[in-house]
Amino acid sequence: MALPTEGPGPGGVIHDIGYRPYTGPRLGTASAARSLFATGLLNAYGIGRSGRAKILPMVLLAFMLVPAAIMVAIMVTLGLTEGFINYGSYPVQLMLLIVIFVAAQAPVLFSRDLRSGAISLYLARPLGASAFALIRWSSLFVAVLVFVGVPIIVLYVGALSAEADFAEHTGEFAAAMVGVILLAAVLATLSALVAAHTRRRGLAVGVTIIALLISTGVVTAVQAITSEMGNEVGARIAGLLSPFSLVDGVQAELLGGVGSFQVSPGTTAWGLLYLAVALAVIAGGLWVLVRYYRKQAGR
Amino acid sequence: MNATISRLALQSLFGQKRWWALLSLPLLLIGLALLVRLLTRGEAGGAFEVIVVGVGITAATLVALLATTGVLGPEIDDGSIIYLLAKPISRYSVVLSKLLVAVGVTVVLGAGSLLVSGLILEPSDLQQALAVTAGMAVAGAAYCSIFMVFSAVNRHAMVTGLIYVLVFEGLLASWLSGLRYLSVSAWGRRIAEGIDDSLNLAAGNLPLAYAWVASAVVVVAGCVLAGRRLSRFQLRGEE
Repeated sequence: MALPTEGPGPGGVIHDIGYRPYTGPRLGTASAARSLFATGLLNAYGIGRSGRAKILPMVLLAFMLVPAAIMVAIMVTLGLTEGFINYGSYPVQLMLLIVIFVAAQAPVLFSRDLRSGAISLYLARPLGASAFALIRWSSLFVAVLVFVGVPIIVLYVGALSAEADFAEHTGEFAAAMVGVILLAAVLATLSALVAAHTRRRGLAVGVTIIALLISTGVVTAVQAITSEMGNEVGARIAGLLSPFSLVDGVQAELLGGVGSFQVSPGTTAWGLLYLAVALAVIAGGLWVLVRYYRKQAGR
Repeated sequence: MNATISRLALQSLFGQKRWWALLSLPLLLIGLALLVRLLTRGEAGGAFEVIVVGVGITAATLVALLATTGVLGPEIDDGSIIYLLAKPISRYSVVLSKLLVAVGVTVVLGAGSLLVSGLILEPSDLQQALAVTAGMAVAGAAYCSIFMVFSAVNRHAMVTGLIYVLVFEGLLASWLSGLRYLSVSAWGRRIAEGIDDSLNLAAGNLPLAYAWVASAVVVVAGCVLAGRRLSRFQLRGEE
């Protein structure tokens, strides 16, 4: 088996030293994309990483679920089926947890391989830079979606099992879920951009948390002042500045949910503007992200 | 003290992408003050307290956090700190040189933006704006010292510092008024009140001397702790 092949004269000799070639099925690009997506999603929750990496996302998820569980328990024991739950305001009330989760987990997907240089190995594969960036983004998007959506599903299931009014709760739940999808997309886009550009975990976490909390604080402050002065337009423009007030405005105005900020869009035209800005942030952010990864591939 | 270390720290602070985060916070505060002045047409009764104290102190604290984690953290992170520690320079002097840069940046960008936004909101009252600026400068020095210990102790100084600022200073100290004896922000506000009696910054009945002494103790203790930590520094690999 491992005999050297005798050549006709002086020159190279090929030895068969017993390595076996891969003879299994070749799964192709789609499968690579799927597994990259799945690993990214699991990694965002620390699964497949060290034990210490699981602590933060899991503890945050537990904190995120506790208020929902308590609300369901109160609802079931006291029979409060009407007007007790506001699905749409749940993400706004637990904003701090969501912000910490997004800020802490985006660098897991966007900083580490750029910083260590492993990115060039990924981009050398058939998947390509654009697809890689978009798949990474989808992993983060779904991770945030699960993080914010699951507590709201818990609330909804709890409300239904407490025999709440099906039609009313389903409508509000659906409106809130569309809002959550939009919120997850906006947050994933912004935090991915910060994480990819800073490349340092600590700095990325800090900048994301500061930017999200300060922008929401500015919206609250400006809306308080402008509505006291009777300046409705100013307050509505201010609402465009933070992802939370932006998405809250969309689901309150266009989907019939309940707004959690002092000033909501008020008219359908403003609601559409809020939606357009949210979509523009996602599309523009993704464009910048893809461009950034393409530049990395060119290096 | 070592001028070269300070110069390098300043260079690294503004050589990284951190500088735009450092600059954007003061600019945002000043922009907010301008916006509020435009919206209220100069009749900003109470806006000074809301903007300068509510938003401004947090923004200046975050500047202190970004500056301090920027002068020491990255070097520990990528391991190049050993080249600095291998030099025959006292670790305390390394900490002090870096701390001085962080405090300088915090005073210029953090407290300075309070001065500018205070003057935008109440142009006639220079003393009030100066009092808040001085209080924030003292509090900023104490914060830098605390964050210096955070960056010397673990890799996650930014996250630890944010949790400290948001949870302890932001939530707990504003709910539980007894914590004013431990809250750096309350000391700074008390010092500002001590300079201008007309200010009421909700610092409670904290003794003025206590605020000064406590701030000084925190600055010194921070230097000593961070210096001790660096003199027992051990290299660790990636986790």
